[in-house]
Amino acid sequence: MTSADFSAVLPEFLLALFAMAALLGAVYTGKDKTAGALLWITVAVMVLFGVWIGLGGGADGAAFDGLFISDAFSRFAKVAILLSAAAVLAMSSDYLNRRGMLRFEYPILITLSVIGMMMMVSSGDLIALYMGLELQSLSLYVVAAMRRDSAKSSEAGLKYFVLGSLSSGMLLYGASMVYGFAGTTRFDGIITVIEAGHLPVGVLFGMVFMLVGLAFKVSAVPFHMWTPDVYEGSPTPVTAFFATAPKMAAMALIARLAFDAFGHVPGEWGQVIAALALASMFVGSIAAIGQRNIKRLMAYSSIGHMGFALLGLTAGTEAGVQATLLYMTIYVAMNVGTFAFILSMERDGQPVTDITSLNMYAKKEPTKALAMLVLLFSLAGVPPMLGFFAKFAVLNAALQSGYTYLVIAGVVASVIGAFYYLRIVYFMYFGEEGEGVETRMQPVQLGLLVASALVMVLGALSLFGLEGAAQAAAAALVQ
Amino acid sequence: MSPALIAALPFLGAVLPALLIRTGRSHAALAAGAVSGLALLGLLLHLPAALAGQVITAKFDWLPWLGLNANFMIDGLGMLFATLILGIGLLIILYARFYLSNQDPVGQFYTYLLLFQGAMVGIVLSDNILLLLIFWELTSLSSFLLIGYWKHLPEGRQGARMALTVTGLGGLSMIAGMLILGNIAGSYDISQILLAKEAIQSSDLYLPALILILGGAFTKSAQFPFHFWLPHAMAAPTPVSAYLHSATMVKAGLFLMARLWPVLAGTPEWFYIVATTGLITMLIAAKIAIFKDDLKALLAFSTVSHLGLVTFLLGLGTKVGAVAAVFHIINHASFKAALFMSAGIVDHEAHTRDLKRLGGLRHLMPITATIATIAALSMAGIPLFNGFLSKEMMLEEAAHTAWLGSPYVVPVLAAIAALFSATYSFRFIAHGFFGPVRDDYPHKPHDPPFGMWASPAFLATLVVLIGVMPITFAGPFVQMAANAVVGGDLHMHPIKHWHGVTPALIISGIAVVGGLILLASFKPLKAAWEATPRPEAKAIFDWIVGACGAAADWITATLHNGSMARYLTLFTIGSVAAGFWAFSGGGLGPETREMLPITPVALVGWVMLVTASASVVAFHHNRILALVLIGIVGLIVSICFIYLSAPDLALTQISVEVVTAVLMLLALNFLPKRTKRGAGPLKHVWHIAIAVVTGLGTGGLIYTLMMRDFAFETMSKYHLVNSHTLGGGDNVVNVILVDFRGYDTYGEVTVLGIAALVIFALTEALLNGASSKKLIAWRPDVPRAGDKHPIMLLVGTRVMMPIALLVGVFIFLRGHNLPGGGFIAGLVVSIALVMQYMASGFAWTQARQKVYYHVLIGLGVLAAGITGIGAWFNGVPFLTSDYGYVKLPGLEKFELATAAGFDLGVFLGVVGSVLLALGGLSRLARRAAVGAEPVHAHIIAEKPEARSPEQPGAFPPETLLPQRWAQARGYTSARQDDADTKPVKAKKTKPTEAEEQ
Repeated sequence: MTSADFSAVLPEFLLALFAMAALLGAVYTGKDKTAGALLWITVAVMVLFGVWIGLGGGADGAAFDGLFISDAFSRFAKVAILLSAAAVLAMSSDYLNRRGMLRFEYPILITLSVIGMMMMVSSGDLIALYMGLELQSLSLYVVAAMRRDSAKSSEAGLKYFVLGSLSSGMLLYGASMVYGFAGTTRFDGIITVIEAGHLPVGVLFGMVFMLVGLAFKVSAVPFHMWTPDVYEGSPTPVTAFFATAPKMAAMALIARLAFDAFGHVPGEWGQVIAALALASMFVGSIAAIGQRNIKRLMAYSSIGHMGFALLGLTAGTEAGVQATLLYMTIYVAMNVGTFAFILSMERDGQPVTDITSLNMYAKKEPTKALAMLVLLFSLAGVPPMLGFFAKFAVLNAALQSGYTYLVIAGVVASVIGAFYYLRIVYFMYFGEEGEGVETRMQPVQLGLLVASALVMVLGALSLFGLEGAAQAAAAALVQ
Repeated sequence: MSPALIAALPFLGAVLPALLIRTGRSHAALAAGAVSGLALLGLLLHLPAALAGQVITAKFDWLPWLGLNANFMIDGLGMLFATLILGIGLLIILYARFYLSNQDPVGQFYTYLLLFQGAMVGIVLSDNILLLLIFWELTSLSSFLLIGYWKHLPEGRQGARMALTVTGLGGLSMIAGMLILGNIAGSYDISQILLAKEAIQSSDLYLPALILILGGAFTKSAQFPFHFWLPHAMAAPTPVSAYLHSATMVKAGLFLMARLWPVLAGTPEWFYIVATTGLITMLIAAKIAIFKDDLKALLAFSTVSHLGLVTFLLGLGTKVGAVAAVFHIINHASFKAALFMSAGIVDHEAHTRDLKRLGGLRHLMPITATIATIAALSMAGIPLFNGFLSKEMMLEEAAHTAWLGSPYVVPVLAAIAALFSATYSFRFIAHGFFGPVRDDYPHKPHDPPFGMWASPAFLATLVVLIGVMPITFAGPFVQMAANAVVGGDLHMHPIKHWHGVTPALIISGIAVVGGLILLASFKPLKAAWEATPRPEAKAIFDWIVGACGAAADWITATLHNGSMARYLTLFTIGSVAAGFWAFSGGGLGPETREMLPITPVALVGWVMLVTASASVVAFHHNRILALVLIGIVGLIVSICFIYLSAPDLALTQISVEVVTAVLMLLALNFLPKRTKRGAGPLKHVWHIAIAVVTGLGTGGLIYTLMMRDFAFETMSKYHLVNSHTLGGGDNVVNVILVDFRGYDTYGEVTVLGIAALVIFALTEALLNGASSKKLIAWRPDVPRAGDKHPIMLLVGTRVMMPIALLVGVFIFLRGHNLPGGGFIAGLVVSIALVMQYMASGFAWTQARQKVYYHVLIGLGVLAAGITGIGAWFNGVPFLTSDYGYVKLPGLEKFELATAAGFDLGVFLGVVGSVLLALGGLSRLARRAAVGAEPVHAHIIAEKPEARSPEQPGAFPPETLLPQRWAQARGYTSARQDDADTKPVKAKKTKPTEAEEQ
């Protein structure tokens, strides 16, 4: 391990040390009594690391013979992952605490999965890719089933695990085929093979199966089946986490694999991703219409949004990657605010997830309702909210690459999808009088909700250099 | 004033009414008026330039990477619309000050109104289609707030929702159209797009772009079949209806069509879509308007009809049509806003808008009646009022328009529409203001204060002035705007009343006379109208929404029924589809390898493998049978390894098979012997089909790939060549395990140990609480053999034990060079021990061996780790193995590799893990046996002291832990709940079994 290697992997290394130290520390001291403090320490550490990486912490370059790549792209994704994970952790503290679910393993498992995600977006090799992916997935399987006394939560965890294993199997199958026919597991080696000659059919198969495995992780249709059940069954803080950082990581990983390993055949994977994107956009939009449970609704919403994000990758261009990165960042920011709200929904101290409970909510809590209105419009992609610019950017990128009919389909899907977001707005502002909902919020929850809504409005004026960072990230990926 | 500032002023000023409302309603109104007035003033300063055909622009970079520039421009069209928006806005602000009551939150109203005004001005002044889109959706949002302003009215909520759904979705569809348009033109700036007519109209994407853009325009301007939302939005306060639904927002769609007219119009597609839609809308809405009793509903449908008229004119694609369209927009805005405000006054004063309850108002409120009459006559198309002039132009154009080759369709339909239009206009006056004074008005009406009728009066004056002197009052304006629409070179004929006896004049005359006749025979007509069933747009809308919801629910229920089987099915189908895509997409090279000859042995093996696998599927309901069949599959695979000259793998495979079979057998003991029968036969067929396709696909893929050389040499060769020189062993598999991939093995041994610990922990959990009771109550569902520990098995295993241990050691030692190794040795020893447990019972065996399995696992990992660390002392990385040759006296020279230490770790880890897992399962068995047998006689015989005095007859403490461990740690878990479960065993009548020994 040379020092150059070490300095590239330093953030992950330190974070792993932190996780292990926290685990040992908590086990040998107060166990769950330390959970509250541990959670906030984890939040602080993640924010710190996010800022540090954002400001250039850790060296750039390929480390460990190209197994690990640190560049503008990975940096961008890591900052988004760390900050969103920190935000979700911070806002779930109150919810977990009051329902007796605040165990010390929770922040540690989240940290471990975040390390996995950071490895994913930095992977430069099939083995590194798989290692990061599994570290992330295994932690997520556990947190999905964190409420052991709830049958739904256990079922969610088990379903996620079984289907996740299947997808991992597909991924491995694909990876082994790529290795067999490219003779290397390194991305830069694979791309050289493809560059040198034609695309061996084994590599093509391998690529397709790997994409299938990764499609599961971003819950792209038809590999999305776990999403609604897991979102609904898991405790809400876990759902909020599922909806944010892992999506960013998996999307970045697809981009990493597609461009770094198969960058010379964008037409080949572009078609696969286009099919996934198309199906996701429509299933996500159509299936959400009938949902009454807001967590389930957000599951379908995330499926639809992943379809749009994939649309950017389909383009296979730098503009496309930039659009996807922006889309994911904005999506994550919207979800943080939305879930800060969902976490607070309760009646008589019990969590409520039925959207009809939001009837006439605006009358009771005009500020929060307005923030939600902004977020929901943004999720629907209605101008001038930031969500519109995100959608526009990916559509534009896909259009410039000649996917006209995909773009038209995407717009149609977004029209269908807008319906269910608008319905919630309608409930909040003009619903029937009925049994309402209380939304008790900690300052941090309220802060995140309002901040997220403000970003959606003010972001339309200026993205504060985010587009520049995304462009640099995209440029680093697409050579 | 910069165009950008004009658009921004209402937004900036929107805070003022909200702040000033505390000081009084008039101040709020004044502030709103001042803001609008200032913006209007700024705009009118540009009027001379605009009249001269100049375009005033203001450009800012906003999000350049998206192509989004905040570019504003004032050209003739923008000037006209902005003047209308701001001017009528001013009038509405004045009117609303008097119209809204003290209870209404007026400050909020003016804030919303200004936001809306800003959005509208933004639309008409944008020079960038993205900017336009943003303002477009902002109008939807702010109108949503305005329409729902009276939240207490359910119709208001319904109307707001419908309006938002229809216009919002239309606006979203427009995004795609704009994107395509911008991409064809290469810029999103409107001024650039307008130059690209050739490129746009010759593009393949012209039609999709056109349809998508028109989707936005038609929904906004309530064109058929989206016309239904506008009347329902009329539940809003009258100032809102007057402003949004007659003068401004609904005209945004028309504005867009006019704005893009130069590049989109003039094609047959444009004509047939736009003109036809306009004509249909004009006709249908006029017909409905006749029979509406609600003043505002009548006006709403008449608005839809007039919007259709303008759409029709724009759709013609001729320059004269464009001029007429622009002119009618001005005229309609003036007379319709006046009419709405008059209707509002009537509502305000008489407390009803129902034509059936009105009449005779001209005597009670003469001013309002005069204003309303002037405006309505203009709407009917009576000469000397402005509505006549533009309607005449429309009819003239219609008379010369052929539709699908037929010259009669358009003129006839236009004539009928004009006739209907005259009818409802006359009805508005006749049933509202004429006739005798009634004595049953809900409230005694009289004319309102000046402030309230000032605005409509001003508009009515305009109606007359333009009507009488069109060239003076409207000519330059129309010229300016029409010039901008058609793109410059327009030589407009002056607007005049008398063109001679033209077809248009004849149609007009017929329309007016026909209108009067229809009005005279209104009562029977109305009865007939109400008797005929007709489609109710709202019902259809609700039905469509409901049907879409139901369809969505059906799709969701089908896809996500919560069943794992369904999910796996979808997953599998998706993967197979992806595979077939890859197969069809890539070019397969020629086969580069030969098939191996198919020998009879291979064939028999293959047949057995397939049969056994298929049988597992067929007989999986019987779990024991399934286990046996799986054993056969494992055996064939082992034989397959031997056949393909891989004895190590075969040895490993077979030992793993044995161990897993035994452990599974033990676990199966507690599970039902049969699985549930799930799916019906039809589903079976479906599942079989999927399985067959997936299997064939996978098999085909493997065959295809195996028949071709890999791109590169495989790793195997490297290992074969370097195994001896680098790893010091000839058994390549073992060298890979302990040397080349030693790190992996190290991890695997650890994982194996963790897995065993988890099994232990899980079974520990099962011994507590509810599951413990379940276990105690559990009865085997098949009768057990009388002889618990058959003597043959006992003797056999005792004899085999030392032999098996010896074989284990032998395999371990030879492992590095010949088939064998720590892993296999561990399994062999485990099997030997497991057999003892099976033959003599767990406790008997446990009492005779003093090893603590947890420690065994730990030792294994430790041994492997220490070997690895040892390498550091040798100055090489972790786990680098070394070997040397040692000559001990009396023995031949033999090789000693550090890998042996590592292998020992593997051996210990495997033994510990297998036995710990076994221990966990057997604890379950013994807990279950507590119910079946009162006392485990043999255990008590072994260790009498183990019986706890506090719990007579209870099971002794954890025998898995050696006694001294258990005592030292006070280990009593899993015992606490036994006391209350004892009654269960009291029922036992089974004779106590004799001691085994």
